[in-house]
Amino acid sequence: MIKLIDVNKTYPGAVPLHVLKDINIEIKRGELVSIMGASGSGKSTLLNILGILDSYDTGDYYLDGVLIKDLSENRAAELRNRMIGFVFQSFNLISYKNALENVALPLFYQGVSRKRRNALAMEMLERMGLGDRAHHLPGELSGGQKQRVAIARALITNPSIILADEPTGALDSRTSAEVMELLRELNRRQGITIIIVTHDPAVGQATDRIIRIVDGRIVND
Amino acid sequence: MIDLFREISQTLRNNKSRTILTGISVAWGIFMLIVLLGASRGVYNAATESFSADKANTISVYGGNTSMPFKGYKEGRSVDLKLDDSEVIDRNVNENITQVQPLISTQLSKISTTRDYISGEIIGSVPGFFNTQNTEIVYGRFINGLDLKETRKVVVISEKDAAILFDNVADAIGANVKIGDMVFKVVGIYSSNEFRQSIIPLTTARMINGYKNDIYEMSVIFENVSTVEEGEAIEKDVFKALAQKHEFNPDDESALWIWNRFSAYMQMKGGLDILNAAVWVIGLLTMLSGIIGVSNIMFVSVKERTHEIGIRRAIGAKPRSILFQIILESVSITGMFGYIGVFFGMIVTEIINLLFGDTAFISNPTVSLAIALQITVVLVIAGCLAGFFPALRALKIKPVEALRTE
Repeated sequence: MIKLIDVNKTYPGAVPLHVLKDINIEIKRGELVSIMGASGSGKSTLLNILGILDSYDTGDYYLDGVLIKDLSENRAAELRNRMIGFVFQSFNLISYKNALENVALPLFYQGVSRKRRNALAMEMLERMGLGDRAHHLPGELSGGQKQRVAIARALITNPSIILADEPTGALDSRTSAEVMELLRELNRRQGITIIIVTHDPAVGQATDRIIRIVDGRIVND
Repeated sequence: MIDLFREISQTLRNNKSRTILTGISVAWGIFMLIVLLGASRGVYNAATESFSADKANTISVYGGNTSMPFKGYKEGRSVDLKLDDSEVIDRNVNENITQVQPLISTQLSKISTTRDYISGEIIGSVPGFFNTQNTEIVYGRFINGLDLKETRKVVVISEKDAAILFDNVADAIGANVKIGDMVFKVVGIYSSNEFRQSIIPLTTARMINGYKNDIYEMSVIFENVSTVEEGEAIEKDVFKALAQKHEFNPDDESALWIWNRFSAYMQMKGGLDILNAAVWVIGLLTMLSGIIGVSNIMFVSVKERTHEIGIRRAIGAKPRSILFQIILESVSITGMFGYIGVFFGMIVTEIINLLFGDTAFISNPTVSLAIALQITVVLVIAGCLAGFFPALRALKIKPVEALRTE
């Protein structure tokens, strides 16, 4: 599903910063993987590259068999939209859109009709157990509910992978566990490939495989 | 597309007070533009109504006094137009001349009926005289060829005079009036605001004047002329021909009084065009400040929404959709509030119309549909311009922004 071959990334500057050094990762379909590392270890950059949010200098990155390299902004947007579902630490819901509209937004950029995308979004929210919260604004939802809306939004386009960036970072331990359970269940029941970037050992423990990154190198897989 | 508008209306509603405040500046700009355009249109209409283009092809010639000695004549000699002068001026003088109308003034001035009397100029003229005047016959007919031939005692009077002389204006046709100690028959009534002479046949006027050959005025009518230069060329040719006949220096400008209606019309038209252009410039500049306001606010809006735009980009918005969204937001603000401005502007022009619509300086000071369409184009372009640079700024926002915590 994901294959990184000798990927390097350097941020240019007065003192160039070599943040990723010869990264080789292979993640198979249906895996639940966590990438762990301290801040500054390069894990965020790795996440950006995996999420086609950022480019890399050398090496190759295959996502679902597609080489992700030197893409135009438009192509990158399209691939992000169709292949990747993002779950963010701070949920990143649009505050003036209700839960349903937030979940439906990726479909808007696919050009899906309003009626159809609202139906799909409603279905997805119901699967997350949030059918009764569909018309609430994010501000009216609890942290756990927000993250479940965000997960629904990530799933709506039926992506190849879910990329989660500290998905429990803004939640208390009980809701953290709930969210993790939800992700695990999605992985187990529907075989969705999930990659979680975190520095929280508890989150790492809840995944099947842990990739540790230190100073831009993978030290333990 | 409908979806995009839904998106936009949601963001605009989300920032109501900001949207409204920005919009007011646009509405004000367009309001000023409409009112100014309406007022200038009123002035334009009033001017052109009193001076319509199809009657402007006329040069009026009056006698004068020489100011230069010529061929043994001393200066200061008076030049009087004669009836046969009109025979000298024809197509051979200038190919565009179509007709020459001599005009005789009489010493008479009083027209009376059993009911009342009026005082005013009584002039002798020929058929076609009204072609050069801003008037039209409302009852009866004008002087015709037979009137001239038979030296008939017939008269054409104005509607206002008819209202004084007769109980019922329409009954005046065929009725007799007394001019001096002669009885004239009223054959026609014309409508006019500024013009209030009574017209009798040229031949009859000559008879009253004792068959003298003097004429008061000569109108030279021409066609196919569209520039001031061509109009002035005709004026010069007429002047030269009369200089030859009356033996005065062709460069002696005071020998004849000439009023070139065409030149005056073109000058007025030029002036009105400048007025119109000036109004557009002032209006557009006023609007420009509104547009800059919108642009400014769009910049703020883009900056405020950096995170949101980042999220949209991360979940798959193409740069194009972001660009469209920002520009369409801007066009929506300018369009919506622009039309509010147009609406109030139209109301004000209608009020001006009610208050001053009938005066000589302003006539129908309202803006036409064509202008409303022009304004629409202006608004859309303005909206695009106002949104363009903020949209470019929005394009620079990377999807990585979404990962930054607020």
